[in-house]
Amino acid sequence: MSFGSISQVGRRRKCPCYVTRISLIFAVFTLFNAISVHARVKLVALPERVRVVLSLRNPGATLVEEERLITLQKGVNKVDFSWRGVNIDSTSIQARMLSHPENVTILNTSYPPNENALIWEISSNEAQEERVRISYLLSALTREVTYKAVAEPNETALTLRNYLRLRNDSGEDLSNAEIGIGYGSTFTKTIEHGETLEMLSERVEGLGIKKLLTWDAATLPWDPEYEKKTVGIPLSYVIKNDKASKLGSHTLLPGKVRIFIKTKEQPENAGAAPGEGVAFTGEDWAQLTPVDREMKLYIGQSRDVKVTQRKTKDDRTNIRRNTANAVVLNDTDEVYKIEIENFKKQPIDLVVVEHIPGYWKMAESSHPFERKDAFTVEYKLNLPAESSGTKKTTVTLNVNRLNVQGNEPASY
Amino acid sequence: MKLQVQSTQMTRRARSIATILALFLITHCAEARINVVTLPGRDSVQLTIYNSVDLTLVRETRVLTFRKGLNRLEFSWANTLIDPTSVELRAVTHPDELDVLDVSFPARVSNTLEWRIKSDFAGEVQIEIRYFTSGIRWSADYLAEAARNEKLMNLAGNVRVTNNSGEDYENAQLRLVVGVIRLVEEIAELARRDRSGEAKKALAWSEVDGDLRQKAQRGLNERFDDFERRAGRKNQIVKEGLSEYFLYTVEGRDTIPDGWSKRLPSFQTADVPITSVYKFEREQWGEQVMRYYRFTNSVPDKLGREPLPDGAVKAFRFVTDDQLYGFVGSTAVKYIPVNEQVDLDLGPDLEVQVAPKLMNWQKTDIAFDNWGNIKGWTIKESWQIEVQNSKEIDALVDVRRNFSGDWSIDTQAKYETVDAAKIKFLVPLKPGQKQTLSYTLTTRQGSNATR
Repeated sequence: MSFGSISQVGRRRKCPCYVTRISLIFAVFTLFNAISVHARVKLVALPERVRVVLSLRNPGATLVEEERLITLQKGVNKVDFSWRGVNIDSTSIQARMLSHPENVTILNTSYPPNENALIWEISSNEAQEERVRISYLLSALTREVTYKAVAEPNETALTLRNYLRLRNDSGEDLSNAEIGIGYGSTFTKTIEHGETLEMLSERVEGLGIKKLLTWDAATLPWDPEYEKKTVGIPLSYVIKNDKASKLGSHTLLPGKVRIFIKTKEQPENAGAAPGEGVAFTGEDWAQLTPVDREMKLYIGQSRDVKVTQRKTKDDRTNIRRNTANAVVLNDTDEVYKIEIENFKKQPIDLVVVEHIPGYWKMAESSHPFERKDAFTVEYKLNLPAESSGTKKTTVTLNVNRLNVQGNEPASY
Repeated sequence: MKLQVQSTQMTRRARSIATILALFLITHCAEARINVVTLPGRDSVQLTIYNSVDLTLVRETRVLTFRKGLNRLEFSWANTLIDPTSVELRAVTHPDELDVLDVSFPARVSNTLEWRIKSDFAGEVQIEIRYFTSGIRWSADYLAEAARNEKLMNLAGNVRVTNNSGEDYENAQLRLVVGVIRLVEEIAELARRDRSGEAKKALAWSEVDGDLRQKAQRGLNERFDDFERRAGRKNQIVKEGLSEYFLYTVEGRDTIPDGWSKRLPSFQTADVPITSVYKFEREQWGEQVMRYYRFTNSVPDKLGREPLPDGAVKAFRFVTDDQLYGFVGSTAVKYIPVNEQVDLDLGPDLEVQVAPKLMNWQKTDIAFDNWGNIKGWTIKESWQIEVQNSKEIDALVDVRRNFSGDWSIDTQAKYETVDAAKIKFLVPLKPGQKQTLSYTLTTRQGSNATR
């Protein structure tokens, strides 16, 4: 209530170490000082934050909740909340009374012109200390989720580390903030304006993965003999977000995944046991993956598997012509032969994707297939180790397309 | 002491709107145009603010001392956004003894009018001046706080009044109109017409009035006085129906200085039942699933006392036992009549997936004309729609499919026909549940079509 408190605040503002740009100025007016003051508010106290919570649950917004202790007089009190150089969504600011919600109420909120400020008028039934929780959306406090995975040499399992990387360009220093992304650990950290902080959210050991090569007839060349370079077949790791894979407790957020594989390092001294190291095997952007769905990471190509596809029969059957002798409708009889060689010393799973437009029936197939949709079939093959040359895997399929006019859909 | 101070402040203030009463005896010949006798302050102000158009009806009362005979009353409004064609005067007391003879807008004097009033009464008369102004607006906004399971929410409504009219309105009664009215000419344009270029100045008021801090201080002091009177009571907002409109009257008085805005709580309702609804319709939102909170503005659902005006909504969900927020989304609601069911649009949601797959496509029943050309055929499509809820809470998923032509559907799944070309499946899912809907769609083409 004295001028001392005003000048105290004044001194603090000049201090270079005073960096808080969001301020809560607590003002109590009585009849006399209302008349005498010349600044907009009479400063009584500048209540410090007693708790800061940073919620990153919403992927598109950063919510700050801060709690401050303010001393209220009986009757009407004014609390001025202002910010400078900080991007706060002013329409998002809410204040909740935590100590006496029944007896302490916000009467109204005033917004002065051309200022980043608002004034709450708070009624209190008696003189008391109140813990107020102020919530607002703060921009320029960005987060990134990144994953680092180290695969076992046999590529059946990996150790996944999930990091939260926070960059604070908000203009505000956040001290001892409880930072949470909605899963994993909650961190209590101080993050200054301009600082980037990376925190380990969770670590999963022995996460089962499936390594998969995918050869898609629509995107890869059918005959590698005519290619100048060895055809690489896309290699993916598939992670299922479920309990069986030691996951399944929360949605996996999108972010960059870097995958390493464990290696044996050559010992420095001859005769010593080999050390353990890692090699980088590739990276991909992980898509948002809710529980019970699969995350497929395309991390590179395999050039040790060779796929050659040829159409060995392409006949029109059951031809119907109009009176002008033009073909108006026919069926087809098509045979495809897919030869697959695995030069690796290990067996590997390969998925062959075939696309058949329109109305069709599979007359014959050498291997079981899965109909993925009306125009796509997949062969899931396990290629034996070193199955090349005479040991190669050959898939043949005989398809009849029916009632073909030439305008059949290939997608939907 | 308080009064004294107020009166000091009053004289210090550069008022934009001034009423000057000039009294003349009819027999006198006026040398100067006016003779200032008194500068009466406003006794009361009422603002009726519309939200569909930029229009506010201002009703103010002042007490003037009249003499018998001809009285001239000058009313001026520099740097405001008042429509001069709307200014009206009437006597509240002694109406039979006062007669407004005419009103003149003097040449070469802008933003001023002069009433010539014949009075058969000498003494104090309360007069009412009414006019339209632009530059004051109000809007509604809402705070939705959903429970952790998203089955109940607290809904709080606020109204926010913003004054950019160029005039300070002290201790005004606020009335807010919810409804759409027609204006054939804009008030701001009418205000501008009288004094080219000045309206702009009024809007950019900070350029005109350099002493912003002083003005703000004044506003705060006045509001403080207001609190003294109200003794810390929250102003209730009284709501009543009026023709096709709804009128919100804020109890008590408020002061909104020019440039300021003020937000007042309108209502607060706890435990409004909500349903988490997810919608999928490829023709509307592509492959995205949209998320909504569904509630009804009805008495059984703890609302329904009045229509809810359109406004912005901030939605949060309690995520911890000590009620920390998770931010759900920002959205806007349309005007909600009483008993209407509303879906609060919370944007796309990635944790509920709807994946329609065409599993089989057949062309059959080919028909030929006399020349051997194809004149008709039938397409049979087998669809599977996988609906998956990866959330920790229940979800009601509304899946809509659009068809065209002579179509028919065959399915074991329960569906509703929305219109001649649209059906919907309503799929309630528990947390983590997945369900597949299957149907066969037959579309008859060319001469095979029968409708």
